Amino acid sequence: MSTQIRFQRGRFGALARSAQALAAVALVLTAQAPAFAQDAEDDAAAAVTDEKDVKWFALTGGDVYTGTGAVLHGATVLCKDKKISAIGYDLDIPDGAEVMDVSGNRVYPGLIASASFGLFGGGGELADSVDPYNRNMILALAAGVTTAVNGSQVAKLKRGEIEGVVIKDGAFESFNYSKSSPSSKAQLREKLETAAAYLRDYRQWENDVRSNKDLKEPAKKGVDQKVLDVLQGRLLPTFNADERTDLLEIARLAQRFGFRPIIRGCREGWVVADELGRAGAMAVITPRERRTRSEDLVREGGSSIENAAILYKHGVQVSVIPQSPGISLGGIVGRDLLHYSTEAAYAIRGGLPDDAALAALTIVPARMLGVDWRVGTLEPGKDADMIVTDGDLMHYQTWVQWAIVDGKVAYDKQEEMYFAHIRPRPEAALAPEVRVDPGEENPAEPPAPAEEAEKPAEQPEGGGGQ
Amino acid sequence: MILATLTLVTGVFVPGALVPGALVPGGPAPATPVMGAIGATPDLLAIKARRVLVGDGTEIEHAVILVDGGKIVTIGQDLPIERGIPVLELDDDQLVMPGLVNPYSRFGMTGGGYNDSRAQVKASTELYPPSGYRAALEAGVTTLGLYPAGTGIPGQAVVVRPMGGTSEEMIVKDGAYLKVVMRPSSSNKRNLKKGFEAVEKYRDKVEKEREKWEKKNKPSSKSSSDKKGDDAADEKKEESKSSSSKKKESPFVPPAPDEETAPWLAVVEKKLPLLVTIDSAAAYDHFIDALGKEDVDWSLRIGLSREIDVFYVKEKIGKQGCYVLIDPEITLHPGTMRQRNLPAEFDRAGAKVVLLPRSDSASGFESWLEDVGVLIGAGLDRKAAVRGVTQYAADFLGLGAELGTLAEGKRANLLILSGDPFEPGTEVDAVMLDGQIVHGETRL
Repeated sequence: MSTQIRFQRGRFGALARSAQALAAVALVLTAQAPAFAQDAEDDAAAAVTDEKDVKWFALTGGDVYTGTGAVLHGATVLCKDKKISAIGYDLDIPDGAEVMDVSGNRVYPGLIASASFGLFGGGGELADSVDPYNRNMILALAAGVTTAVNGSQVAKLKRGEIEGVVIKDGAFESFNYSKSSPSSKAQLREKLETAAAYLRDYRQWENDVRSNKDLKEPAKKGVDQKVLDVLQGRLLPTFNADERTDLLEIARLAQRFGFRPIIRGCREGWVVADELGRAGAMAVITPRERRTRSEDLVREGGSSIENAAILYKHGVQVSVIPQSPGISLGGIVGRDLLHYSTEAAYAIRGGLPDDAALAALTIVPARMLGVDWRVGTLEPGKDADMIVTDGDLMHYQTWVQWAIVDGKVAYDKQEEMYFAHIRPRPEAALAPEVRVDPGEENPAEPPAPAEEAEKPAEQPEGGGGQ
Repeated sequence: MILATLTLVTGVFVPGALVPGALVPGGPAPATPVMGAIGATPDLLAIKARRVLVGDGTEIEHAVILVDGGKIVTIGQDLPIERGIPVLELDDDQLVMPGLVNPYSRFGMTGGGYNDSRAQVKASTELYPPSGYRAALEAGVTTLGLYPAGTGIPGQAVVVRPMGGTSEEMIVKDGAYLKVVMRPSSSNKRNLKKGFEAVEKYRDKVEKEREKWEKKNKPSSKSSSDKKGDDAADEKKEESKSSSSKKKESPFVPPAPDEETAPWLAVVEKKLPLLVTIDSAAAYDHFIDALGKEDVDWSLRIGLSREIDVFYVKEKIGKQGCYVLIDPEITLHPGTMRQRNLPAEFDRAGAKVVLLPRSDSASGFESWLEDVGVLIGAGLDRKAAVRGVTQYAADFLGLGAELGTLAEGKRANLLILSGDPFEPGTEVDAVMLDGQIVHGETRL
């Protein structure tokens, strides 16, 4: 399949008019190598099995926001089975590929929620208990979320499938380091020191053992494995901290021992953003959080709408999470996962650049969870998880029209009852509404989704708001 | 009253033995001879009805059903009736249909069960004959499949006729199906997998025993044929050869499976079907996942709740063409007030829909047909509705050759209704069980 991707020079020349298009070209070109490498690999596998087993899926005509900084207007995303195979213009789409024309819409990477509850149903081992028909899963997909943390696992919102749901075990390792608990603070510091001393001894031994083979390996006794993993960069430690003092202490601890902390909350992060930036911290914040500064404080404090922007300016990788990371249709509508992108929109309101806001919903949480090699951006070789929206993702009027997980349509706004009636896609607006199952031999069927997909979906009037 | 509607046509007089149970309580003693409960109906009898629902979805107008010795001898349109055969001529409004089959019930049973796997448990041991089965019979239920209670794998169901003073008289078939409760949880999936593992283990054991036995009986055959092949077929030939030459050799007897393994062995050998109860679409997917590559007979029991989401897997289930035991209820699309007629949807998807009473009680049985009628009003195919309470229910129990439709050679289990079965207000005028009028009064 290495002849899949074909470029036309003329087209490129025309495209090179804008800087954005240049970026697009760069992306496609750099994307080549991995794409070919993977194709070669897949070819070998396909030769053994059957070429016909390969499922091609192409999203054409959309404005592709790759999440890597590039925007490819009217481009094609070609997926092979569960992975993205190529992104660009004039791609050779294989025969038999499922083609979805999404002209007039935008294509973004699927969103990643660094916390969630109630999306997967069931309890315990997800492989044996996931409910892939769960209403909350559908609604989360409607919010654009395709990957989420469930308990300590990272899982995909694979609608109607129970296999391959969990993509990573042990998503987070939380550590307690707060002035409210001096003893646990001391404990962690001690653990870090022990582990650091062990690593020092180990490195020394590694060096010395070359000349003296009889030297004994230093004893690992008393060394906390998780702390060791943190120091060796295998694990990103998570801290829950909001106040300036705690944030400062964590930043200094991180700099002293050389690890990158993930800080959840980080309310007063904007006060000590420079320190956090220097420590290479990553933050999960809730931009809409409101907390005034304590009256007896002289220093600055409390929440700030600019928190995300200031942290970002100082080099902190910023991710967002709504106040309630579940799907809540009750009292706090608007501050749950159903409005995940709105949370990032508030960060933009506080000064965060658009691309950083998209990253806050996609690649940054993916990095925090250690799944950025699979999801978080649209790049060849990564999982085919994407969403198609009818406008700017951060705009309150925008709807997710389709969510695609592992190269399969997991959500179609027009097919689900929840939001189909709100600014329906033009074709669907003409279809009769089916209420009670009519029970006739040939019941009035809603329009076939495939048909719908093939026709260009027009931008609804007043939609988008870019 | 019914008495007026059933009139004697032939000259044969059958002395009506009055059995107290057959009398309408408080009703006046009939002036004309009446046939009542068991023993009172003549062995040979013809029924003439303007309308008969056969049970398989078809109807016969002006039908004649000839019953002899508890079985249907023949059924057809306008058949001539030999002189001398007593004829039960029904009123024009009246309709005959097969006795209702409720394959999933705990009627007359008490107590709860466990959450683990007890495939060897049999509901037949719980049977308590005098416990009011008459009420089921009066509602037109002539066959009941009773299952053991529990939320894991509670055991095997028994099929009974709701009549008789002892368990033996009641039981039609024991070990009709193995109930399996499936929810999306590790423990439910493990229960199922463990059953299949037990069979694997047992088969390994048998294999080992066989090898041992073969070794013991080999030496003579080995010497007789040196160029022995590795195939099992060759070995078998050798076996037969050696056994023919050495007559005293005893054949291989595989060790008997233990109590817990035996039912699973029957499942794998397709002698005991599974009835898997699910309450969500996810449970179905997890069942298929837990089943793996095992090739067994299985059907589904879907307990409907207000906002059940099983319609998401209806196409998958329909493709299996399995029996789906479902309540005649209208449900809502989750999170909305949109109504769904799931029995109709499953029927259209290709599943064999078996409709159960909405409540497992005498009153539930009484309103059963009317409840099904509501679903027909909401779009359920009428033929599917009839099959769902008779033919498919019987087929599911593995008793399709005996029950479920009105056909030659089958048990004469039938109902005489005052009108269309699915119309509100229709009453069960009489019930015939194995050729005997056991409820209602008829006059020849």
